[in-house]
Amino acid sequence: MSVGGGLHIRDLRIEYSSGGYVVRPIEALDLDVQSGQLVLLLGASGCGKTTLLSALAAILKPALGSIRFDDVEVTELSGDALTQYRRHRVGIVFQAFNLVPSLSALENVAAPLWAAGTNGRESRRRAGELLERVGLGDRVRHRPGDLSGGQQQRVAIARALAHEPPLLLADEPTAHLDYVQVEGVLRLLREVAAPGRVVVVATHDERMMPLADRVVELSPRADRESRPPERRELDAGEVLFAQGAPGDLVYVVEEGEIELARQLADGGEEFVACVTPPGYFGELAPLFGLRRSATARARGRTVVTGYTPHDFRQRVGVDRLAALISGN
Amino acid sequence: MTLLLSGASASLTNENHRIVRAFGADAWVVAAGSSGPFTTASVIPAARANEVAAAPGVARADPVVLFRSIIRERSVRDVNVVGFRPGGIMTPHVVRGRALHGQGETLADTRLGLHVGERVVANGHRLRVVGLVSGVTFNFGIPTLLMPVQDAQALAFAGQPLATAFITDGVPRTVPAGLQMVTEQQAIADLARVAKSGHQSIDFINVLLWIVAAGIIGSMVYLSALERVRDFAVLKATGASSRALLAGLALQAVVLSFAGAVAAAVLAQPLAASFPFPVQIPSGAYLRLLVIAVVVGTLASVAGLRRAVGVDPALAFTGA
Repeated sequence: MSVGGGLHIRDLRIEYSSGGYVVRPIEALDLDVQSGQLVLLLGASGCGKTTLLSALAAILKPALGSIRFDDVEVTELSGDALTQYRRHRVGIVFQAFNLVPSLSALENVAAPLWAAGTNGRESRRRAGELLERVGLGDRVRHRPGDLSGGQQQRVAIARALAHEPPLLLADEPTAHLDYVQVEGVLRLLREVAAPGRVVVVATHDERMMPLADRVVELSPRADRESRPPERRELDAGEVLFAQGAPGDLVYVVEEGEIELARQLADGGEEFVACVTPPGYFGELAPLFGLRRSATARARGRTVVTGYTPHDFRQRVGVDRLAALISGN
Repeated sequence: MTLLLSGASASLTNENHRIVRAFGADAWVVAAGSSGPFTTASVIPAARANEVAAAPGVARADPVVLFRSIIRERSVRDVNVVGFRPGGIMTPHVVRGRALHGQGETLADTRLGLHVGERVVANGHRLRVVGLVSGVTFNFGIPTLLMPVQDAQALAFAGQPLATAFITDGVPRTVPAGLQMVTEQQAIADLARVAKSGHQSIDFINVLLWIVAAGIIGSMVYLSALERVRDFAVLKATGASSRALLAGLALQAVVLSFAGAVAAAVLAQPLAASFPFPVQIPSGAYLRLLVIAVVVGTLASVAGLRRAVGVDPALAFTGA
């Protein structure tokens, strides 16, 4: 286990294609985590938590930016170096445990060791130790199907610790557990976040916040407060907001025209709508804490006014809001 | 099945050698221009055996009569009839009963299921089984009735003193006019020509069976790979190299193929006995089966192997 270094993320952008459109769940992310810290990636489904974990595990290549762990630039790894990184530097606790059902608890934990070329006897000895450490010394011969959800998750944590990795990633580690089982898993995660190791936990469960040394919210927060309307004057072609950006305000067009376009995976753009006075646009992202699903650009000189969701709701009337959302 | 078919194919080849050698002839003499002693439609006066015997290099020549017939024993059965001169060049090995002493007697191959002392009717002629011979079959395992040449002439030529070939003690350096010599190898080739299409059919079915086996093994490995896509993704995400996964899955295919081949080898012998024709599985066929099974199994698994190796480790992050 190495000491010092830590995890450093700079200007990270992760994008992928979905249904022909570009989806950018992570945009311009900066993050510094010191060794021994437990970081919580908090956010709703689809906000990019798992995507970010995949990038930290060097399974997904970011479109832009840097991920540096200790002395390794993760985004530049390939070939054997990539395998070595995944094998020795990262341990992953997958959502839904993802244990191999045909293998016993001991064999599941030993599998990464075998894969790394450790001999059978040593792998089993080490796997036995790890299972003891997570409190499953008496369950080594059990197959996943014979274990409770909490026990399976502990096996998954033991497997992730097989190589004593300095970076431990856990994806929704409590998602499939009841509150009794959650306790043990939380304690275990906190315990392994010792000096020399960074633990990154992705979850949508805000109750886990006390567990963390740092919390990174990946979902844009819906603004529930009232604040003065924000007037913006735009020149022709100027972008008001880009696709993938967090949504904060709902805009009403006062003058000019706003064109909404969606970025396609092939690099092109798809026209969505043109909004003219007194139309409004961009209401769903701030209302639901989503990222913008399209780019808003002024066609000529244009003036818009931005309202918080709270003020917008007041403006249109709460009873009309449902109709607006459904587009009726 | 492929092992049994290999056995059947080998049995046909062995059968040809065995029957030709059973005549004890150094050479055969047939009508000039005919195809060979086992397939000829030409006949020769039996008395010309004396001319052949007088040819240089020949110590003795006996007429033989070979033809296909039937017997009515519970049901109609095909038999090969071999008429020969008892006490002459051909001396069949009798496994039960005694040798032929005179006309009206026959030696039956054990595959006919006849018993010593039993009477059998061939082409309307009644013959008494005085002895049994074993492994005297040809034309795809059809069993043989051996009888004095006069009885065979009575069955085939209404008693005319004709022969289909002569067998000789010694190799004639020249043969009388209107006759031609056939060596032992040529006689074997004459029989093999008849069996050629049979051999080809067996080989063709054998290839089809290998294709089916490859399909089954390939499907099993592919389905197994599909079932375990998530497992492969998890293993990859935890640092297992594609090479290690490839080796593991290939090993599974090899073990599967090898186990199948071993099971086939164990089952082949008892199954061979129930086949309607002789099956003699050569020992080399077992080794060949194992090697081919492993190669075919591995090749058939390529699709599954590619599937496993191509798994995106990001799949491990997907939920239940």
